[in-house]
Amino acid sequence: METLQLTQGVVNAILLSGTLTLVAIGFSIVWGILNIINLAHGAFLMVGAYITYWLFTLYGIDPFLSLPISMITMFVVGYVVQRYLINLVIRAPLLVTFLLTFAMEIVIINLATFFWKGDLRSVTPDYAGLGFAIGDVQVPYVRLAAFIISLVLTGLLHVFMTYTKTGNAIRATGMDIDAARLQGVRIPQTYALTYALGTALAAGAGTLISISFPIDPTMGGAYTLRAFVICVLGGLGSIPGVILGALLFSFIEVFSGIWAPSLKDAIALLVLVLVLIFRPSGIAGKAFYH
Amino acid sequence: MSKKLLILFVVLLIAVMALAACSKEATPAPTQEQAAEEKAPASVEECKVVFGAAVSLTGKYAKEGEYVKNGYELYVEEINKQGGIPVGDKRCKVELKIYDDESNADRSAQLVEKLITEDKVTFLLGPYGSGNTFATTAIAEKYKVPMVEANGAATKIFNRGFKYSFAVLTPAPNYLRDIIDMALDKDPNLKTVAIVIENGAFALEVAQGAKEYAEEKGLEVVYFDKYAKAAKDVSSLITAMKSKNPDIVLGAGHLQDSILVMKQSKDLGLSPKVFGFSVGPTSPEFRKALGKDADYVLGAAQWTPELKYESDDIFGTPQHFSELYEAKYGETPPYQAAESAAALIAYQKAIEAAGGLDKDKVRDALAALDYDSFYGKLKFNEQGMNIYKPMAVMQNYTDGGLYTVWPKEAAVKEFLYPFVPWDQR
Repeated sequence: METLQLTQGVVNAILLSGTLTLVAIGFSIVWGILNIINLAHGAFLMVGAYITYWLFTLYGIDPFLSLPISMITMFVVGYVVQRYLINLVIRAPLLVTFLLTFAMEIVIINLATFFWKGDLRSVTPDYAGLGFAIGDVQVPYVRLAAFIISLVLTGLLHVFMTYTKTGNAIRATGMDIDAARLQGVRIPQTYALTYALGTALAAGAGTLISISFPIDPTMGGAYTLRAFVICVLGGLGSIPGVILGALLFSFIEVFSGIWAPSLKDAIALLVLVLVLIFRPSGIAGKAFYH
Repeated sequence: MSKKLLILFVVLLIAVMALAACSKEATPAPTQEQAAEEKAPASVEECKVVFGAAVSLTGKYAKEGEYVKNGYELYVEEINKQGGIPVGDKRCKVELKIYDDESNADRSAQLVEKLITEDKVTFLLGPYGSGNTFATTAIAEKYKVPMVEANGAATKIFNRGFKYSFAVLTPAPNYLRDIIDMALDKDPNLKTVAIVIENGAFALEVAQGAKEYAEEKGLEVVYFDKYAKAAKDVSSLITAMKSKNPDIVLGAGHLQDSILVMKQSKDLGLSPKVFGFSVGPTSPEFRKALGKDADYVLGAAQWTPELKYESDDIFGTPQHFSELYEAKYGETPPYQAAESAAALIAYQKAIEAAGGLDKDKVRDALAALDYDSFYGKLKFNEQGMNIYKPMAVMQNYTDGGLYTVWPKEAAVKEFLYPFVPWDQR
């Protein structure tokens, strides 16, 4: 194997891991705190990507500038969806919320296909494709920026969860809902806020993805699956776990893509199965948003 | 926790399968275009021919599917201006019935079955793409309804001994040959080729054909690998290709694949001397998606508006077809539109020869057809493939235009060579 493949592969994997961390982290907090496997996560990500696409195409707004717009919009959407829809069944067995989010995903994707058609679309600002080289290794600016923004957002989430009262309330709810309630945490609001955060993070990831990759209404499913695998790899309920899971997953994806491109997805899921068998609590073990 | 996770994973898988099943069950949404037909009381004198097709209007092949539909519709509009297809001593009005197959082969087959059994169309036209054509031709064969298709180039469609399927386009293995010929004609010192392939029926045959031809011409194939059909990231393959430093990079796939490969080649600085694709660079969408980055890229073309064919069909010449198309759709016609219209011309000539609309007689007339159309020769071998028509090559020029650069006698501009590396632009 040539050195270039190795070095470029490592760079690709690290850059990819940033975006995938962002994809998985929202999925992870919703799962960890609300105990919902949010199958609509990828659909929200897709909507975020389309918000960026339309703002860019119709109004010429730079895709990076649309990041807050897409995140805030989807934060509101997420809050409303949790408060007035998911909350209705939040006490029901896990399978019910699971099916509800599954249904939401289908509805969102179908609406998107109906209104926006199924075409693949790309956000192409002037600087798309530009980058710098270290030796022969290329580093595209757009992906580097996406990587940095992902890490900053992840860092902000960590600070929020650790050092703010609301963040502590969210974590407390995840650890022991009755104790949290006795301490005066308003559970419905906390749940809605957590879900809204997860949705906003998904939308942010969608925005960043739309700048590097083509988008279409069905793009989200693949990311929901990746988020799921990353959460399992990294262990549920820890931000460092998600980062580690995303990094590991990115390396698997990139290098299986180099060596056996047509088996890429099979290899990634095989790793999931192996982790479930040998290390069910994840590579990093169990933690809870420390 | 682990047990829960496993159960969830299984449920997830079942759910995904259920989704796939659901989407198949949904009723087909008719497109607006066909709403035109009003069920007038059928009189004895009335004569009409209804052509049915399932075409991808959404999904991965939405853009190509749109070109196909445009081509069908342009023919129908033009022929109806003349009163329809001449059958015996009268003329039959032509109608189209088109459904959206969502770029899904199973869906395409179901819709064709519906076209035959419920809508009772007279004849069938093809969908877009080899996968969908492979599925739908089997249905046509089952019901013994002729299908002249214009957008399925894989030879495996025709290796099944079918009697009712005909293709007007040049078969897949020949797609990239002309690009190789042209490149070697320009620079005999080219040594190495890398081929990157969409994992689908058409692209695999294109790639295999290109590989064999390249080796025959003394080139070394240094990279030959495929990626999943729905891939949205091929950077790993680009990285692997770049490390081989090939002179020529060939992409076997469709429009979205070629756009993706070009974008990520720029990201990763892959700059061979020649960049060519089976499908993509010849459609206006390619330039729209890539802007200046489309410069120098070559595309194989079944047909170009600059070719020098002359015919007595309703379009006459490629230039006249091009003018009509531009007037209606506002852009120069991609070859998918031309070949789709050509499928209807094949039908027209066969119906004229058969003197009626009997399905078997028209089938026999199709099998015997030998006609020079605006699209080139329409003639089918025993399997139903049109192996008699050459391909052309088009290049995206630095002035933003798209020109025929091969074959030499039809070339309107000289082949720009080499591809200027990304870091020198």
